[in-house]
Amino acid sequence: MEAMEVDYIQRKQSTYQFLDEGFKIQKEMYRGQQYSQIYFARLHLMRTLLYSLLPNWKPHLPVCTVLGLEQGKECIIVGTLYKHMKLKPTILDEYSKERSAAPLVKPHNFTHPDDHLVLEDESGRVKLRGNVLLPSVYVTGIVVALHGKETDAGDFWVEDILEAGLPEQIEPPLKSEEDKYVVFVSGLSVGSSTSNPLQFQLLVDHMTGYLGDEKELNIASQIVQVVIAGNSVEIPGGLLSGQNLASKDQSKLSEPVKELDILLTQIAAGVPLDIMPGPNDPANFALPQQPLHRCLFPGSSAYNTFKSCTNPHSFELDNIRFLGTSGQNIDDLEKYSEAKDKLEFMERTLRWRHIAPTAPNTLGCYPFTDRDPFFVERCPHVYFVGNQDSYETRIIKGSEGQVVRLICIPRFGETGIAVVLNMRNLECHALSFGTEFSS
Amino acid sequence: MTSTHYKRPSLKLAGISFPPSPNPALSPLPSAVMNNGSSTKKRPSPAAATHNQPSQIQQQQKKHHPTMEEEEEMDEDVVFLDETLLMEESQLLRDMEEREAIASRLAKWKRPALSPAYQSYSKNIVFQQLEIDYVIGETHKELLPNSSGQAAIIRIFGVTREGHSVCCHVHGFEPYFYISCPPGMGPDDISHFHQILEGRMREMNRNNRVPKLVRRIEMVQKRSIMYYQQQGSHPFLKIVVALPTMVASCRGILDKGIHIDGLGMKSFMTFESNVLFALRFMIDCNIVGGNWIEVPARKYKKSAKNLSYCQLEFDCLYSELISHSPEGEFSEMAPFRILSFDIECAGRKGHFPEPTHDPVIQIANLVTLQGQDQPFVRNVMTLNSCSPIVGVDVMSFDTEREVLLGWRDLIREVDPDIVIGYNICKFDLPYLIQRAEVLGIPEFPMLGRIRNSRVRVKDTTFSSRQYGTRESKEVTLEGRVQFDLLQAMQREHKLSSYSLNSVSAHFLNEQKEDVHHSIISDLQNGNSETRRRLAVYCLKDAYLPQRLLDKLMFIYNYVEMARVTGVPISFLLSRGQSIKVLSQLLKKARQKNLVLPNVKQAGSEQGTYEGATVLDARAGFYEKPIATLDFASLYPSIMMAYNLCYCTLVTPEDVRKLNLPPESINKTPSGETFVKSNLQKGILPEILEELLTARKRAKADLKEAKDPLVKAVLDGRQLALKISANSVYGFTGATIGQLPCLEISSSVTSYGRQMIEHTKKLVEEKFTTMGGYEHNAEVIYGDTDSVMVQFGVPTVEAAMNLGREAADYISGTFTKPIKLEFEKVYYPYLLISKKRYAGLLWTKPDKFDKMDTKGIETVRRDNCLLVKNLVTECLHKILIDRDIPGAVQFVKNTISDLLMNRMDLSLLVITKGLTKTGDDYEVKAAHVELAERMRKRDAATAPNVGDRVPYVIIKAAKGAKAYEKSEDPIYVLENNIPIDPQYYLENQISKPLLRIFEPILKNASKELLQGSHTRSISISTPSNSGIMKFAKKQLTCIGCKALISGSDQTLCSHCKGREAELYCKTVANVSELEKLFGRLWTQCQECQGSLHQDVLCTSRDCPIFYRRKKAQKDMGEAKVQLDRWSF
Repeated sequence: MEAMEVDYIQRKQSTYQFLDEGFKIQKEMYRGQQYSQIYFARLHLMRTLLYSLLPNWKPHLPVCTVLGLEQGKECIIVGTLYKHMKLKPTILDEYSKERSAAPLVKPHNFTHPDDHLVLEDESGRVKLRGNVLLPSVYVTGIVVALHGKETDAGDFWVEDILEAGLPEQIEPPLKSEEDKYVVFVSGLSVGSSTSNPLQFQLLVDHMTGYLGDEKELNIASQIVQVVIAGNSVEIPGGLLSGQNLASKDQSKLSEPVKELDILLTQIAAGVPLDIMPGPNDPANFALPQQPLHRCLFPGSSAYNTFKSCTNPHSFELDNIRFLGTSGQNIDDLEKYSEAKDKLEFMERTLRWRHIAPTAPNTLGCYPFTDRDPFFVERCPHVYFVGNQDSYETRIIKGSEGQVVRLICIPRFGETGIAVVLNMRNLECHALSFGTEFSS
Repeated sequence: MTSTHYKRPSLKLAGISFPPSPNPALSPLPSAVMNNGSSTKKRPSPAAATHNQPSQIQQQQKKHHPTMEEEEEMDEDVVFLDETLLMEESQLLRDMEEREAIASRLAKWKRPALSPAYQSYSKNIVFQQLEIDYVIGETHKELLPNSSGQAAIIRIFGVTREGHSVCCHVHGFEPYFYISCPPGMGPDDISHFHQILEGRMREMNRNNRVPKLVRRIEMVQKRSIMYYQQQGSHPFLKIVVALPTMVASCRGILDKGIHIDGLGMKSFMTFESNVLFALRFMIDCNIVGGNWIEVPARKYKKSAKNLSYCQLEFDCLYSELISHSPEGEFSEMAPFRILSFDIECAGRKGHFPEPTHDPVIQIANLVTLQGQDQPFVRNVMTLNSCSPIVGVDVMSFDTEREVLLGWRDLIREVDPDIVIGYNICKFDLPYLIQRAEVLGIPEFPMLGRIRNSRVRVKDTTFSSRQYGTRESKEVTLEGRVQFDLLQAMQREHKLSSYSLNSVSAHFLNEQKEDVHHSIISDLQNGNSETRRRLAVYCLKDAYLPQRLLDKLMFIYNYVEMARVTGVPISFLLSRGQSIKVLSQLLKKARQKNLVLPNVKQAGSEQGTYEGATVLDARAGFYEKPIATLDFASLYPSIMMAYNLCYCTLVTPEDVRKLNLPPESINKTPSGETFVKSNLQKGILPEILEELLTARKRAKADLKEAKDPLVKAVLDGRQLALKISANSVYGFTGATIGQLPCLEISSSVTSYGRQMIEHTKKLVEEKFTTMGGYEHNAEVIYGDTDSVMVQFGVPTVEAAMNLGREAADYISGTFTKPIKLEFEKVYYPYLLISKKRYAGLLWTKPDKFDKMDTKGIETVRRDNCLLVKNLVTECLHKILIDRDIPGAVQFVKNTISDLLMNRMDLSLLVITKGLTKTGDDYEVKAAHVELAERMRKRDAATAPNVGDRVPYVIIKAAKGAKAYEKSEDPIYVLENNIPIDPQYYLENQISKPLLRIFEPILKNASKELLQGSHTRSISISTPSNSGIMKFAKKQLTCIGCKALISGSDQTLCSHCKGREAELYCKTVANVSELEKLFGRLWTQCQECQGSLHQDVLCTSRDCPIFYRRKKAQKDMGEAKVQLDRWSF
């Protein structure tokens, strides 16, 4: 910036509070624990919550456990939903006796009209019937309260459903007159054959103030935070498994990471930067994904503006609470349930008060023993997911005045679009970079 | 069905008086794990609630204790009634109350009540019979006023359309057999003969109170079925005896010889003296297994005293029965009640449960009405309390005795017609009965339909040429048909394993949770929640047999088989094939006035005959379509075409004597002479014709049918007809069978050989370039009833056209009904040797149907999964992808993975059943040795006799015997023991691979097994071997494995700078493992059907069991590696 002759433009700042502790796995080890415990922890947390809501919902009805059901008696039961799915792929298919001649077409959605829901608590399971509870909407792992009664056939006829709903939200900060922007980007895919390095360079230059006229520089100076929501690099498959690599492959492997580090260094020099791991990054697979290792970023990690975060990631900027993932939770819901758009899936997770209900069932997750970090205790003001097909956004409101901005961040490598959020009014717009070459 | 927990006032508490702290062995259970504070928030279980009342428990214990002691001290012979007297009166009263409570709960499952018309016995009774047997009883005075003394009474058990159970006592049918009448015997001689015979019989049956042992002897005109005879009939003597057992003793006397005045010592050949009495009755009354029987009103009499628990019980004469042939409305099935059950026993550690020691702790029961898809009774009876289960009627009892008696009452109330289960005949039923004996409950084993009749366990051996010899226990439940799914599976399907788990994986496509028997006791000793867990498992085990029964349509197929062949349903499982043919033969012979001789069991002395022919296989990989020409039902067709039968066979002597015109006889290629049908129509051809016509009709009806139940019946019927037709040939060739006739069977096979040769000749003569075809046809292989032809044309369609042409042309040269059919084309086709081939099967020219393999290692259990996967994958690549280099590469990669120790251990596990203990094996076997070693390590989890022992072959000292190299896969996983890749390479995969590749590749062995991919080898270091105890563990650089001194470093100085790359690799490994860990463990949750409970399953038959274990262990290790980076 020294090279600039113009007036020195001061970048705005905001207070940042880091809230990732819950997503960190530090002391926890694999000691033979199984997944029943996270379900138990979830059921326990959610049940306490749902019980507290019952007096305002249907105070006149008795509360039963699954084993306490009596035929024909109306009551409320609380438990974890389990969706029985005909088309759900299982690992046992690998062993099926007849290898099908035609390769399986990988369907992107496994729902089927015959799917049905089951409610389970520690004591047992009961099959759910009725027209109010749509199997296509729900997935395994959600905890709900149901009003209904046991039928002659031993099923539970559902009359009504109570979901936990949006959690409490901290007071939004006093209306500030000042514009402050947060830039969200995901799916940079550095190293991929399809991504265009120039696009990202343009974005970096824009954010750091190397691009555009004074007006744009002013805007750039109001960017107080950059969040990279997963899939920053793409490492050619096959390099990571197996034997020692030949030296030329070694460089193939580290090249994209080096390139990313150079770009991140440029950002971190100017703007605070949070980087989250995504499914393609050199990070672990199971949620919560742990921060990308600093050794991958020898350049950028030297800056204190550089923060390697978990996925999911949560933080507060000037008392505005952010929560987001690199997209796995929503992508998984899309495979196992149906909705009109991605934002609807996002909204559901908030109303279910659980950002990753399908974990561990179909979404890999760490086998926690005494907690469920995906439980949403406080309602965020901004909820984002990365690596989506297109940019979508919407505001949703809760019954107690909660206001949440939902954002689907598209894959930058494919769309050239980053998302900018104005913290003043939670307004959002896309930032699109195009590069056209006449060839 | 409600889920109400049956709360009984008192005794329950005594049952759960174990200390509230969980058993340490139970630690994997959530109830134990969750104890860290969260359990207080848990809903208090009913059991937990009762713990809070210690005083009450003590009281109960005091009360209960004395009786317990007395029970133990009691002599086994003491009868129950005495024991009850010892009980305190109050307790006795309570006991009765409980009994009543249980009884009222059971009562709701009773059969529908009788309508007034039935009650007054004024209605025709129409029922489907399922079981026919006989008893010896007093002659019915009203029905048979002229007879007296003991007689055989036939009992027919069945069900009416309304679902009422029926027991019909049939009187007046007498056992009999024939002998040929000596020439010149007049009526006087017969009465004299009668006296002599009676006298001899008396000597043999001294204690018999029957007034007349040989009831009467009649002269009848009959003819023996054996050999062609010009005369129409001969005089025979029909000897009617008093009781069925006397047939055999009378036959013995006549076989040995009897002294007759004027004739001297004479022995007689008997006819039809080996026919079982019940079968005799069915044949003579035209009854076939599982058909409908009608008894008109007023023709039957209500039994004076109810001997059975059946709703309708009556007496009638055998001549009054109307037997309906299974057509129209009488082809339907009555709503029988099918009980599927399973028991759980609490075995001692290290022992398989034995009835002398180990209690029965749970019995799960499901009752289904035939034709309905859901059971209407779901019940589980448990010893000690058990938390309720949704949709299941849980009955808890405090003593084992009550459990057993509860079950007996359930059987009585529900009154099942068919009792099914998995291995019930050999395990569950004998166990229950022996257990009741040990506990001294003489009133337990009254499980049949006859009052006061006790069930006993008999040891039986079943031996049949087709099924081999099997030792078995036999428990007869009078009036109920037992159907053990295990036996049915073993009979009907060739599987690598018959465990319920693998059978349900195979047919229902789901894995069954398998709880190891050492855990069962822990669950039982826990609380009502853990027992509930066990009950859920037990219920599932009871449900699976029912689902298999439905899925495989066993009821339809077996009832239809019984109807087609005419034998009772129970014969189908307990007897071999021959009884079915014999029954048809007897029936047909009776119509024709023929009698069957009782040929002495000649053993195998009669010699064998040449079997089917197999044309030499020209091994190779054929990349042109191969057309297959099949003979449709070849052997039955031959028998029909050449009129081969007992009664058309001309003895060599008669050939010379009778001077038969040559146009009326056939000389078979094996040299026998049979007359043509213009002289004498054979009855075997006639039976076959009927069977095949009936099959055609059934198949035509099947096409028309809409109702799925009707379809099921028809499909079962056509299958039964096909099987029956094919078993006729076998019957004539069974040298230890009922009526062997090798002249027939050797003629059949000789004709068969001739046909195959003839077909080959014609094809190769006609389809030539000389004959105007594009290519010369070549027969590359021929088996029993099919010939494979390469017509040389490149397309499937052209091969199909030529195949059809050839089939029509050649069929024209055969005697009807022998017919050559063209059905399928293989393309490409890999012919390995005789009876071993693989190919893609085409029945239409546009798309292949499937990959068809025969005789290739894809299922055998002696092989590890690796072999199966490798072979399947190679065949897939060769045949479907047409990528031979790809297949070769795949083999090389797999071998390299094996040698580099990168193989998934579950693929290497070999499993063998442990049938006896180590000492009884003559040769040392790997799995037996391992079982011994495991017992020394930990007796509790070691495999027992009856278990399957999984093992892998590990690297051992040079010169170690193969059997010393076996090891438990879990132990191998835990201790990083290196496996022996050479063993797997040489003994497991090389042979099957070479078989496939030799026709394709030159130097297959060298190419596949000795290439450069076999050069690098990696062996893991065992963590428990001797040398490792002296080794000091030091950290190595993750990059280059150099030792590093500082414990907090990850990389050596040399590798610094490669952090990013090396970290990526470490984390990628973690990532892969996490993916696998999640998929494996959630799958197991899915199978067990619960999210909130830990997975207990230890099914070693499940393909993912070892992977799951390994993923868990690897995950822990990988995490440690990853944590080394957290500097």
